[in-house]
Amino acid sequence: MFISRSMTRKVVTVGLGATLAEAEALMQEKRIRHLPVVDNGNRLVGIVTDRDLRSAMPSCLCTPEEGNAGLSRFRDTRVEEVMSRNLVTLSVANTVQDALLLIQKRRVGALPVVDENGCILGIVSVRDLLQSFINVMGIGEPGSLLCIVAEHRLGEIKKIVDILTEENVSIGSILVSRHWDREKRAVFPYVHTINVAGLKKRLSKAGFTLVDPVSWYMENLARIPGKGDL
Amino acid sequence: MGWFSPKGPARNHTALLYDRRFLLHDTGWSHPECAQRLGALYGGIKNAGLLDRLLIRTARPAGMKWLEAVHDRSYIQKFKQACKSGEPYFGHSDNAMGKETFEVAKLAVGAVLKATDLVMRGRVRNAFCAVRPPGHHAGRSSALGFCFFNNVAVAARYLQKKWKLSRIAIVDIDVHHGNGTQALFEEDPTVFYYSIHEHPSFAFPGTGREFEEGKGLGVGATKNAPMPPGSSDAEYEYRIRRDLIPVMNDFLPEFVLVSTGFDAHANDEMADMALTDAGYAAVFRVIHAMAHRLCHGRMVSVLEGGYCLPCLARLAADHVRILLDE
Ligand SMILES: [Zn+2]
Repeated sequence: MFISRSMTRKVVTVGLGATLAEAEALMQEKRIRHLPVVDNGNRLVGIVTDRDLRSAMPSCLCTPEEGNAGLSRFRDTRVEEVMSRNLVTLSVANTVQDALLLIQKRRVGALPVVDENGCILGIVSVRDLLQSFINVMGIGEPGSLLCIVAEHRLGEIKKIVDILTEENVSIGSILVSRHWDREKRAVFPYVHTINVAGLKKRLSKAGFTLVDPVSWYMENLARIPGKGDL
Repeated sequence: MGWFSPKGPARNHTALLYDRRFLLHDTGWSHPECAQRLGALYGGIKNAGLLDRLLIRTARPAGMKWLEAVHDRSYIQKFKQACKSGEPYFGHSDNAMGKETFEVAKLAVGAVLKATDLVMRGRVRNAFCAVRPPGHHAGRSSALGFCFFNNVAVAARYLQKKWKLSRIAIVDIDVHHGNGTQALFEEDPTVFYYSIHEHPSFAFPGTGREFEEGKGLGVGATKNAPMPPGSSDAEYEYRIRRDLIPVMNDFLPEFVLVSTGFDAHANDEMADMALTDAGYAAVFRVIHAMAHRLCHGRMVSVLEGGYCLPCLARLAADHVRILLDE
């Protein structure tokens, strides 16, 4: 899952000399919240966010005079004065997983992707990552979710996949989650079929426990060990 | 009760659209959407002694003109061709078919159109169409979830074009979200689509969340009630009273089409709901009373899913009793 497949390639950027008013207009027009700032050679030098712009705007508590003065300063200020230069970037060799972890760790909303010269190639926002998750889960296509409890040992998932294959069912995704019983795993295949009754019967016959989604989500989710427990 | 008289010569209260040719749609061995479903359902109505109180009519195939009011011509042709050349399924391996499937699918639509004619001519007040294949997953050019033509959707367009009605309500109580029907009308403010179903995170087809409320001009004319797995009679009845009735009071339908799936029953293995016979009756009574109040009782109920054969027999008999105002 290289990031180049998930990133937005047509990046909207501004030059160092742009004013905050120009940056704001551009962000509104393109409906984006992160605007990379580039130098003459298209090298990334900073990023302005909608939050940076908002904090540069005069406060709503200002008097009208103060407000007008603030507004004209806002209009004339150049982006390089408010942009953040402490950049978190990715290279095309990074993956969607890298992006997820980095976004979570550094608490940013978007990551520019740059080449070895620092030139901007793309940008990955939280929104792009969500889209790739929807794709990975296969939930953009019609299907049904099965909830299976399996022993935590080698070969169990294979058995499940074999049964689904024998039943001629196409698989959108299989998520595996911790189970409250440490010896077990909860397996969630998303299958592209309406016909789950027969599948469930075959899986039960093969010794798997089909979890009633109610008990799984409503009663037991809270009992699953949290992060770091396993 | 009103003007219904069991001895009256010509006017029946309720029509039953049923045709033995519906059994000819052959889905092969051990397919849940099987001909026995209709056998069980018809048997249930018969054994309850209800047949001679109903106006029973067979189907005639729907004309291309009406199918094309909903489906792409090329899709209809492809379906016809695939069927003729003996393909085992159409579009997706769930949609098993036999040589007769195309003709039977046209008959199913035709039965629903005939039912709407009977109601609009005042011959009956309402009707139940015991048809297969079902329809609510079928889109403009997609067969899905055992559905080929969207029976209810064609009827909605028929009511608008032939009978010049403006506002049609489609109420879908099948346990699965009718993604086909929703997609066909989501931009259309004149056809209101309401669906109560198992939450899409758990059940096919994975759509029908509350935030799906229509698009463009149709915003506000789609409403979804996703129910958590295991929902009970009381939860269903509460939900449908709480959110179907107010939107219908605003929309003021001139005709109610019901996508009646019996697969939310506790004994139905296709999904995870916990409705009993009584719960089904309660939910359907709410819809029936609404049609009486808002559009002179004009309502056509069309079979969608429901795969537990003994349940189908009982639920269909109860369903017909409610249509008969009992
Ligand atoms: Zn269904």
